[in-house]
Amino acid sequence: MPNANTPPPVPSYTGPGSPQDVPPLPGSSPLDPATLPKPIRDELQAPDPVAIDTSSAELKDGVNRCPKCGATDVRQKPGTDELVCLYCRHQWTAARVEEEFGLGVGIDQLEGTVIASGARDIAADAASMMTFKCTGCGAEVTVNTQNAMTARCHWCRHVLGVNEQIANGAVPDAVLPFHIKKDDAVARIRQFVDKRRLFALKAFKDEFTPENVVGVYLPYMIVDGNVSADVAGQGEIETRRYKQGSGDNEKTYYDADVYQLDRHVDFTVDDLPLESSAERGNLDTRSNTNNIINTILPFDTKNAVKWNASYLASFTSEKRDLNVEKLRPHLEDELLSIARAQVEASVGQYDRGVRWEAERLAVHGTRWVSMYLPVWLYSYHQPGPNGGMLHYIAVNGRTGETMGSVPVQQWKLLLAAITVGGFLEFFALMILGHAS
Amino acid sequence: MSDHGMWLLLAGPAGATGLYWGLYRYYRNTDKSHAFERETAVVAKPVTGSDQKIDEVKGTRESRIEGDNVREYRRRVQRIEGEPPEGG
Repeated sequence: MPNANTPPPVPSYTGPGSPQDVPPLPGSSPLDPATLPKPIRDELQAPDPVAIDTSSAELKDGVNRCPKCGATDVRQKPGTDELVCLYCRHQWTAARVEEEFGLGVGIDQLEGTVIASGARDIAADAASMMTFKCTGCGAEVTVNTQNAMTARCHWCRHVLGVNEQIANGAVPDAVLPFHIKKDDAVARIRQFVDKRRLFALKAFKDEFTPENVVGVYLPYMIVDGNVSADVAGQGEIETRRYKQGSGDNEKTYYDADVYQLDRHVDFTVDDLPLESSAERGNLDTRSNTNNIINTILPFDTKNAVKWNASYLASFTSEKRDLNVEKLRPHLEDELLSIARAQVEASVGQYDRGVRWEAERLAVHGTRWVSMYLPVWLYSYHQPGPNGGMLHYIAVNGRTGETMGSVPVQQWKLLLAAITVGGFLEFFALMILGHAS
Repeated sequence: MSDHGMWLLLAGPAGATGLYWGLYRYYRNTDKSHAFERETAVVAKPVTGSDQKIDEVKGTRESRIEGDNVREYRRRVQRIEGEPPEGG
């Protein structure tokens, strides 16, 4: 009797749809939903599940409770990745996303586009203002996600944070907590500016107050990629070098062999950071100093922890406003640059250089995770035409790497340059005078 | 002699311009950005490719190939779309 109920062995299946076939293109379907009955159509057209779900169900009501005592007054312990309950002093750490979602592994197996849930497209109608009903007293508390992710209920002092992954781009998959403390950042900025005082704008020096530095979480997409690239061009090897003529008319001539070159490289990149705010991503040094913030990359993104708004208490944040598709050209540009850097060592014998003329990129797979990265930012607005210039001094909130733009006093710099040039010219004339 | 004299006369303007731009960059850091080519974790398989001699140059006065861009990783050249040819 029991034997009769044993299921037969599963037959090996080789027909259409088996793993032996070439998989269809992502998003394509052999079925035309329009021709199908409504229940099936609805099923087919329902949104696909996102590949990596990083939303945390336990924090959906906007209240981060201490796991031990349930209080909501939770803060990051400065200089560490730990959260501390200000009521009972319990300390704990959110899980690292690297292990939690397996982000460090299988990059060479990546295919298609894998998007973590916090990196999904921003809904056009999503508002940045969010209203919470305080679970402590029932009052309504508003959080403006453009620049903040937590708020304190003004009636009962409950702390509410935005943890639910709303489709306005404000909630990332992960956050990398500040390690560099404010005093440390202030010292680094002071040290940076002290090395640049002589020709600095007078108003900048007069108003210099590094204590006004602000800790801000900036939005980035952290991308893993599995790609192949080809480049083609010409290279030259010197075969002979000789001089002709004599005295002042002596000239050097070169003979060279010309080669046609092709190079192919397969590579993976791990955790390439891209600015996912349109304003920050604009690196035009004629109109802004965003390149300063770009320079302090990279961060130790491997240590990022699962999103928890408590890390953002007392810091400001900037909302992401770029989607994966908008960032793809930027990513491909960087991947091509990396490919060109990778093949350089293989053309070392071309001592007269190489002129690359064509390049090709095949992106096999990418994985996108949105992250808030910690930056200490000091800014100074220099008045001028077209709204002037906003100068940043930025400190990487993890590594302490510091970079900045110090406005210059043009007349001072010009005067110094002309004075030195004048001295050089004077000596040149002296030498010429002696020679003739 | 006259040739050397002309070169020396340029020392003043060249020194002034060099100092101006050198200091300007030191203060404003306009030439800095994230060196992702060096600072990203890249795992590459060995580079493959072919080299074919196609021509010889005789008696040129240029010390480098025209349009040398071997170190200018970020300057894009013609982008070819599609899959690489057989064996590429």
